[in-house]
Amino acid sequence: MDDLLDHFIVEARELIQQATDDLLALERNSDAASHIDGAFRAVHTLKGSVGLFDFAPMGLALHAAEDLLGGMRAGRAAKHGAAIDELIGCINQTERWVDAIERTGHLPAEAAEEGYRLARALRLQLDEEAIRREAPDSEADLGWIEEAFGPRLASAALRAEATPLVALRYIPRADCFFAGDDPLALLQSVPDLRAVRISNRNPWPPAAEMDPFSCNLVIEALSGTVLDAVKAVFRFVPDQVTIHEIAPGAAISGHAPASHDATRDTVSATSGSGTRMLRIDAARIDRMADLVGEMVVAKNALAHLVGQVGDGSGRKDLLQGLHASQATIDRLVAEMHRAVMDIRLMPMQDIFRRFPRAVRDISGQLGKTVDFSIEGEDVEADKSVVEGLFEPLLHVLRNAVDHGAESENQRVAAGKPGRTRIVLRARRVGDRVLIEVDDDGRGIDPSVIRRVARERNVAPAEELDRMSDAEAVDLIFAPGFSTAAEVTDVSGRGVGMDAVRATIERLGGHASVQSTRGAGTTIRLALPVSVAMTRIMAVRVSGELYGLPLDHIVETVLLPASRVLPVRDAEAFVLRDRTLPLIRLAGLLGLPPGPEAASGMKIVVMAVGDELVGIAVDGFAERIDALMRPLSGILSGMSGVMGTTLLGDGSVLMILDIPELLG
Amino acid sequence: MSVRLAGDAIVLEGPCRVEDAEPLLSLLQAGPDRTVDLTEASHLHAAVVQVLMALRPTLKGTGQDGFLKTWIIPALIGAESGDTPPEDG
Repeated sequence: MDDLLDHFIVEARELIQQATDDLLALERNSDAASHIDGAFRAVHTLKGSVGLFDFAPMGLALHAAEDLLGGMRAGRAAKHGAAIDELIGCINQTERWVDAIERTGHLPAEAAEEGYRLARALRLQLDEEAIRREAPDSEADLGWIEEAFGPRLASAALRAEATPLVALRYIPRADCFFAGDDPLALLQSVPDLRAVRISNRNPWPPAAEMDPFSCNLVIEALSGTVLDAVKAVFRFVPDQVTIHEIAPGAAISGHAPASHDATRDTVSATSGSGTRMLRIDAARIDRMADLVGEMVVAKNALAHLVGQVGDGSGRKDLLQGLHASQATIDRLVAEMHRAVMDIRLMPMQDIFRRFPRAVRDISGQLGKTVDFSIEGEDVEADKSVVEGLFEPLLHVLRNAVDHGAESENQRVAAGKPGRTRIVLRARRVGDRVLIEVDDDGRGIDPSVIRRVARERNVAPAEELDRMSDAEAVDLIFAPGFSTAAEVTDVSGRGVGMDAVRATIERLGGHASVQSTRGAGTTIRLALPVSVAMTRIMAVRVSGELYGLPLDHIVETVLLPASRVLPVRDAEAFVLRDRTLPLIRLAGLLGLPPGPEAASGMKIVVMAVGDELVGIAVDGFAERIDALMRPLSGILSGMSGVMGTTLLGDGSVLMILDIPELLG
Repeated sequence: MSVRLAGDAIVLEGPCRVEDAEPLLSLLQAGPDRTVDLTEASHLHAAVVQVLMALRPTLKGTGQDGFLKTWIIPALIGAESGDTPPEDG
C-alpha cells in the first residue's frame, strides 16, 4: 500500500471521528452552530481527500452529506431526527469503506450501489423547495475554489500570473430554463475565461426519469478579468452566483476551511486495529534529538577514557573519569527513557470518543434509552494500555446497556428517571489509571449469579454457598459464566467478561465489579499508566528476592524489635507520633519467617490508598529500573503480583502488588 | 430543427436551444448507444448540455464555436470521466 493511501486512511479515520462527534453533539443540541460547522468541515475535507483516489461512490455519498450539512448551516434543512440519522449512516458506511480500503486497497464491489443510495437518501433531506432557493455559499467558504481549480492554480502557468484571478461558482435555479435563462450563454459572456468546470448538483436520475427542463448544473469558472466585469455578467442572477477574487499565486488553502482540528497538538494515534501510527508534538521529538546529541558527546568521552587506558595513565584519574562518564550516561538514559515514555502517552480521549456512537447504536438496537457521558478523557496512559482498553470497554458498555439498563417503564415504576445513566470515567490514581463504567440500572442479583454459576458448573456448589454476595457477583468474570444461552444480538458473540478480565490482566491491571441490586453496577478497571519501565526496589524475604514498586514507597526505617506494639492479633509501630500497622511480608506471602536481625527490623513504609503501612522485610537490596512484564500463561491468574522482570543475572524477580495482597 | 437522427448518430446543428433538450433526450432514451455528433453545432444550451452529461452518449466532433470547443466539450468529457455517478460495478 502506498504512502499516500496510508495517510489517507489515518486522516480519514480522524475526520470520521470528528464528524461523528459533531453529529452526536448536534443530535443532543440541534442549535449548536459550531457542531454543524465542525461536521461540515470534516466531511468537506474528507470528500476532498477521497477525490485523490478512485473511490467515486464514497465521494458521491460524502458530497451529498456535505450539501445536506451546508443546507443545515444555511437553515434550509432540518437539523434533527431523520437528517442526522442519514448523516450518521453515511459516516458509518464511510468508516466501513475505509476499513475495506485498508484491508484490500479498494472499495468493495457493492459500494457503487450503496454510495448512490446514500447520496439519494441524503438529498431527500434537503427539501425540494430549499434546493430551488439554493443560496450562494457564505463568504467564508472558499473551499470549492480549491476543490474545483486547486491543481490548476498550482500549475506554473497560472501561478506566474501577475494579475488577480476571479473565481465564480454559478448554481442556476432549478427552474431557470423557464425564466428564459441559458446559464452557458451567461458563462460565455464572462471575459477572459481561464478554466471551466461543469458538474451536476444532485446525482443524475436514471435516463427514463430525467427531466430535461429542471436545471441540475453547477458551473465553476476562473477568469482573468476584474471582479466588477464578472459581477456585471451575473447582475440579473446575483442570488445564484458566488464570486471571489484570488490574489496572484495565493495559496487558496489559507482561506479554505481548516482541515484539521488545531487543538490536537500533542500525541494522537489512530484507533484502528491495524494502523500503528503516532502523531507527535514536534517539541517532544526536538527534545529527543537534543538528548541523542548529548549521548554522542558522552560516548566520545568514554572513547577518550578507553584511549587513556592504552596510554597507561594514572589509575585514579581513570576511575574518576569512568565514574563521571557513567553518571552522565545514567542521567541521559533516564531522560531518554522519560522522553520516549512521554511520546507513548496518549489521552483516553482517543478511544473514548468512539464510544458515544457505539452506545447510541447498541441502545438503539435494544430499544433502551440511555444517557451516556464521559469524564476524564484527557487522562493519559501508555499507548498500548489505551489501545488495549477499547475492546474490553466496548464489551462492558454493551453489558451495561444490555443487562444493566431496564426498560423505561420498569425504571419509572421503580421511581427512577426514565433514561438509564451510564458514565464512563477515567482517573489517574498514583501510577495507575482507574477506568470505571458506572450505570444506575437494575444491578446484579447475587442469587441469580449463584443459580447460573451452579447450572454452568462455574464453581462447586458448596463453594458457591460459602461465597459472600460480593464474591458471587465477581463470578461474572469467571470463565464459562456467560454462554450462548444468554447471547443476544448485542452482548455475547463468544466474548464474555472473562475475556475482559484476561485482557485487562494482560495489560498489567485488574478488573473488579461492585453492584447494588436495583441501584446499579460499577465495573472498575485499574491499569498501570505505563507498562514499560517501573522503578523497583528489591527486598529480601526468607532468602528470596521480591520487587516493590518504588512509587509507593515513602521511606525505609530500621525499627528496634522493642518498638513493635501488638494490637489484638496484629502488630503496629509508632513512626514520628503516628501509629502505623505493621505487616510482615513473609507472613503475607505465606513464607517461613526469616532470622530476626539483632540490629532491628527493616521496614518499608508504603502508601496504600490514603494509609501508610509498614512492611517488614529481611533486607533491602538495590533499586532498579525494570522493564516490567505483565503476568502471562499460568501466572496470569496469580493475585498480588503486578508483573515480573528479569534481573541482570537472568533470574526472575516478581514485583508485588501490596495493596492487592493486603486486600 | 437542430436535432436530427442520421443512422445511428444524433446530429446537433447550429445553435441548440432549450427546446432541443427534450427531442435529444427522447432519441437517447430510445437508443442509448447512439453517438451524438457535435461537428456542426455552434452553441449548446445548458439544458442540452445537462442531457449529454446525464446520459453520457459517445460524443463526436468539437463544434463550430471557440467557446464550445475550448470550454464546454472538454468540461463535458471531464464530467463524464470524473463527476458522474457510476451506475454499476
